[in-house]
Amino acid sequence: MVDAALLAQHAVNALMLGIMYALVAVGFTLFFGVLDVIKFSHGDVLTVGAFTGLTVWLALVAVDLATPWLAVALLVLVPALATALLGALIGRFVVLPLKGAPPLNVLLATLMCGTILREAIRLFYPGGANPKPFPALLPTTAYQLGNLNLRLDSVLLFLTGVAIVVALHLVINRTRLGLAIRAVAQDAEIARVMGIDHVRTVLITFAIGSALAAVAGIMHGLYYNEINFSMGLLLGVIGFSSAVVGGLGNVYGAILGGFLFAFLQTLGAMAMPFASAYRDVFAFAVVIAIMAVRPTGLIAERGVERA
Amino acid sequence: MSALLRLEGVRAAYGHADVLVDVSLTVEEGRIVCLLGANGAGKTTLIRCVLGLTLLRGGRIFYADHEITHLPTHRRVALGIGCIPEGRRVFPKLTVEENLLAGAYQERSWTRIREQLERVYTVFPRLAERRGQLAGTLSGGEQAMLSIGRGLMRRPRLLLVDEPSLGLSPLLVRENFRVLEEIHGSGVTIFLVEQNVRQTLRIAHYGYVLAGGRLVASGTPEVLRADPALQAAYFGSATA
Ligand SMILES: Nc1ncnc2c1ncn2[C@@H]1O[C@H](COP(=O)(O)OP(=O)(O)OP(=O)(O)O)[C@@H](O)[C@H]1O
Ligand SMILES: [Mg+2]
Repeated sequence: MVDAALLAQHAVNALMLGIMYALVAVGFTLFFGVLDVIKFSHGDVLTVGAFTGLTVWLALVAVDLATPWLAVALLVLVPALATALLGALIGRFVVLPLKGAPPLNVLLATLMCGTILREAIRLFYPGGANPKPFPALLPTTAYQLGNLNLRLDSVLLFLTGVAIVVALHLVINRTRLGLAIRAVAQDAEIARVMGIDHVRTVLITFAIGSALAAVAGIMHGLYYNEINFSMGLLLGVIGFSSAVVGGLGNVYGAILGGFLFAFLQTLGAMAMPFASAYRDVFAFAVVIAIMAVRPTGLIAERGVERA
Repeated sequence: MSALLRLEGVRAAYGHADVLVDVSLTVEEGRIVCLLGANGAGKTTLIRCVLGLTLLRGGRIFYADHEITHLPTHRRVALGIGCIPEGRRVFPKLTVEENLLAGAYQERSWTRIREQLERVYTVFPRLAERRGQLAGTLSGGEQAMLSIGRGLMRRPRLLLVDEPSLGLSPLLVRENFRVLEEIHGSGVTIFLVEQNVRQTLRIAHYGYVLAGGRLVASGTPEVLRADPALQAAYFGSATA
């Protein structure tokens, strides 16, 4: 019998992981939406975001400006802008030139791109081969709500993630840019005929998706107080799986998929507390089973003809 | 009268198969010019060349004194070229109104967008009733209306129309031709691809006939009706 307090703790943890996975998965699904490509450098772009955040922090400490709120703001903004640029560059110089090539080539090219980023961090970031402590910048005040011990930093991180997802929803559904992104995703050729600048829309989408990955990476760092050069590998695979199980191309499917994966992991960890590494095995196994039953994902974005 | 659109020796191919061979034609401003030809003659390819969706293997394209041969599609649209594409191609998961807004993508003024919306809704009251419905769930006829309305949203100077009446009932086909004349009446130059020879020649001022990727005849409707090349291009099926 699992006791209520532990259960609640697991639930909080699952929500935290869920929002991070959702942010990564949304990137995969956006890229696939506008260009029908799997951009496998996404996880390593996340790592670059996290290390950019760490660098910003070290710089702030060095110039003695490390007040927590300023630090938090810059630790989100600077990495988000940096990875937005990085994502757009990869789009412009790796993905777009491969237009018309078999999808497998794009997958390989971006996979290699990711490897370069990862190895570059390991080799060239000072001490990059080792795990790096990440500062705990958010207030860790704890609240006791009945059985539940809730820490303020978790709440803030979760709410930030939710706010970003809501903002993304509004951009996609309420703005001219969002209309362009959806039009390109549904019929890229006709979108061009409507006067939508295809390259620009694709690159902005890559920038947005990559900025979300940086946010996820920073959240991961703030939550676990540690980052390392390979953190993007597993996060990337998990984000990709979440996007696929949710229905590649569908933003809400990706969010759903992210939370689903986190809950599966948590369930696995609860069922097998003696071997927490098995939680991923369990989660991936269930995802594979879901894919067998629903090949188009939970929310099918395209008609059956594309399935 | 001045040429709004001019093609000079246009060549296009898919892989090794030549689809357009040395096509030169002119669309005068203010007219309805039609392009006739059997299935597979290359009509849609020619429209795609004008839009910049298919790249030329040779030749040049001019629009209102600009050479547009190498312009990306969205820049051509900015110059005033609009299109009602073959097969309607509405965005299935956008609502009717969002489809129309996509058509007005380059229009920055909200007042003008609203004016255009009202205009389209007046021409097609059915679209107004269904403005919140996903376009993919519209009937074929309604999708045709939406595709036409979407093509009008940017108030194009030249409208390329590719088989708007394909698959529609005779009643809707007549309705379509009436709408095209109305659009022309509002000052839009129309380049019309159609299989419906008789009704097309009734509204067109000038026409070209394409067969196997080459222009085989051109002239006013009277001339074309009498031209054996037209009959031949349709294997005698034209009851012009
Ligand atoms: N994407 C493509 N790849 C290869 N061949 C193509 C492609 N699109 C068209 N073709 C070929 O080019 C030729 C001309 O096609 P096009 O669509 O321009 O004809 P069309 O005159 O519009 O015909 P229809 O009246 O049936 O619409 C056809 O033989 C067609 O098979
Ligand atoms: Mg055609």
